Amino acid sequence: MIMNDPDDYAVHLQDVSRTYGKGPTEVAALRHVTVGFPRGSFTAVMGPSGSGKSTLLQCASGLDRPQTGSVRIAGRDITRLREKELAELRRDHVGVVFQSFNLVPSLTAAQNTVLPTRLARRRPDPARVRDLLQRVGLAGRERHRPAQLSGGQQQRVAIARALLSRPEVLFADEPTGALDRGTGHEVLALLREAADTYGQTVVMVTHDPEAATYADGVLFLTDGRIVDSLRRPSVDQIAARLGGSR
Amino acid sequence: MMTTLAWSNVRTNPAAYAATFTTILLAVTLVGSSGLLIAGVSDGGELEAVGALVGTSAVISAFVSVFVVSGMLSLHVMRQRRAWGLLRSVGLTPRQVRLLVTVEALVVAAAASAVGCALAVPYAHGVAAVLRRVGFAPTDIPVAITPVPFIVASAVGMVATLAASRIAARKAVRSGPLEVLRDSAAEQRILPWPRALVGTAALAGGVVLLDLASRQTEGGGAMEIILGAVMALCVAASALGTVVVRALGYLLAAPVAWLDPAAGMLARASLATQPRRAASVASPVMLTVALMGTFVFAAATTQTAAGQATMEVGEWIAPALVGSTALYTVISVLNATAMSMSARAQELRLLRSVGIGPAQLTRALVWESLITVAVGALLGTAIAAAGLLTLGRVLTGRLWFDYSAPQYLGLLAVCTAAGLIGALVSTRKARRGPLVG
Ligand SMILES: Nc1ncnc2c1ncn2[C@@H]1O[C@H](COP(=O)(O)OP(=O)(O)OP(=O)(O)O)[C@@H](O)[C@H]1O
Ligand SMILES: [Mg+2]
Repeated sequence: MIMNDPDDYAVHLQDVSRTYGKGPTEVAALRHVTVGFPRGSFTAVMGPSGSGKSTLLQCASGLDRPQTGSVRIAGRDITRLREKELAELRRDHVGVVFQSFNLVPSLTAAQNTVLPTRLARRRPDPARVRDLLQRVGLAGRERHRPAQLSGGQQQRVAIARALLSRPEVLFADEPTGALDRGTGHEVLALLREAADTYGQTVVMVTHDPEAATYADGVLFLTDGRIVDSLRRPSVDQIAARLGGSR
Repeated sequence: MMTTLAWSNVRTNPAAYAATFTTILLAVTLVGSSGLLIAGVSDGGELEAVGALVGTSAVISAFVSVFVVSGMLSLHVMRQRRAWGLLRSVGLTPRQVRLLVTVEALVVAAAASAVGCALAVPYAHGVAAVLRRVGFAPTDIPVAITPVPFIVASAVGMVATLAASRIAARKAVRSGPLEVLRDSAAEQRILPWPRALVGTAALAGGVVLLDLASRQTEGGGAMEIILGAVMALCVAASALGTVVVRALGYLLAAPVAWLDPAAGMLARASLATQPRRAASVASPVMLTVALMGTFVFAAATTQTAAGQATMEVGEWIAPALVGSTALYTVISVLNATAMSMSARAQELRLLRSVGIGPAQLTRALVWESLITVAVGALLGTAIAAAGLLTLGRVLTGRLWFDYSAPQYLGLLAVCTAAGLIGALVSTRKARRGPLVG
């Protein structure tokens, strides 16, 4: 599939650079990254710790503004949007699952799940909320607050939240990092289903080669640059590729 | 090692330390200047008459100082609990953490006391000048620089700070590192028994004092007992505050959640899960309304009861003297809101990253502050009304008191403004700044 127009992608980053700090403590977390995520695709982002994966996700999802370059989501250059428009974009078109601190501490699991829907003044569908929480293995935990949930459970609530309103794009930072194999597979199946059944575009950071095999393609990041990519890779291919980059 | 840790705490949390520092500093200034004035009036013959009033205002300022400083410190400790939990989890013993807390409190209190003492002198001169200007004091009150007021003021500052931080830190240190790290934000017990005990005792004391006051035969004597009762009731309401805040907050939040569902739900959830945080903010509001309400309307009640058309100097000067205390409590409303909100930067950024709009976020914070201030104002009004009804009964035999609606509304407006300014200014960066980095 050859795509030349950035608007053919659900998310497209053009020459994006992001540096943190200034002077001697300056860190270039992303260096001139150009990449597109096709609609309905599921992409895994891999690379050593500190290589810029989370930064890539934050820039691509409109949480962070890169110093240079442009980011397009659903055909709109989000680096030019005003705060209010960005908020609407995050609320209605983008779902995010962070590495940590995903939930509002004062809200229950169910309330956290429906938060973006409520913010948009829409009525959440209770049956769907229950179904989603059940599929991420949190049946019976609806009324628990984040402090009463484990780290992995909190992240699964965030996954349910990101899936609930079927946003066009879904970003997940190591969503299976804290999960056992069984629960991890269930979460990956949900992400796969989001792409296959609902045409959502999924971008997932992971360190786990097995999790990456659920994706259509894998991007490898080193030192803020995309150094390689694989399509429909096997565990062995990924492991070999990761071994080589170290 | 300890100093490095203490310093890094201060550096990562400058706003919290600044708020605590100003609170203690102002307390010491207030108590110190009252002390200087007492020393000034006690040796001048014709000033003797002023002495009682200056004395009363000194007692009130000391009470308010201890009350506000301890409230502030408990907010401060709530903020620091995570940091201490982390230190515990990397191997600091409870003893070491306690030492760290004590040293930190000592340093902040010592610095604040020194500056506060220095400011007490010009402040006492200022108050003396005002008293003379309004014709209350026949001559200038001489502000003699004697050591006792400074010693007392510093002692109040240091002891209140140390005691409050140790008591507040005790629980944080005792609970295991994991419990704290798991964000004990989920406050399990909202009314631990020592608090319940203190609250009940103070409540009983307040009621007994009111009863005693109602049996006095003249207004002056009754008023002093009533002031004692009002202070006792403030302590009671503050100790039992979490329960009251939760119940009242829930009631007040219901219509808000109906009017503005998303923002209202956030405000309501925050009040329901963090009643202690809300109580710490409601508490200075309650104090301001209770004290100022009692003072201002006691003067009006006395006047009306005596059938006077014009105010006599001695009656309206009382509020003027208490004015600095009122200013202090209003500043503490601002400080407390700022402190409790600034701890929530991470939560506000999370809300933004899941799509809360700028106006929606501001509304959620405004609702929460308004409800908290309203709870404090309701409690304060109830306490002031109890005191004033007792006074009215002593003066006229009827359960009655005189008040002025504009003045009362003005008082509420000042508290509300302080709460809103504190909440919005302290969250400005989290509301508008970058989400990352
Ligand atoms: N807020 C920040 N301030 C300063 N430097 C930062 C900040 N966030 C990230 N960095 C730096 O940018 C680089 C990339 O960080 P990033 O979080 O994107 O890495 P990552 O690939 O997600 O790592 P991990 O797998 O450990 O999560 C790192 O060197 C990191 O130290
Ligand atoms: Mg990361």
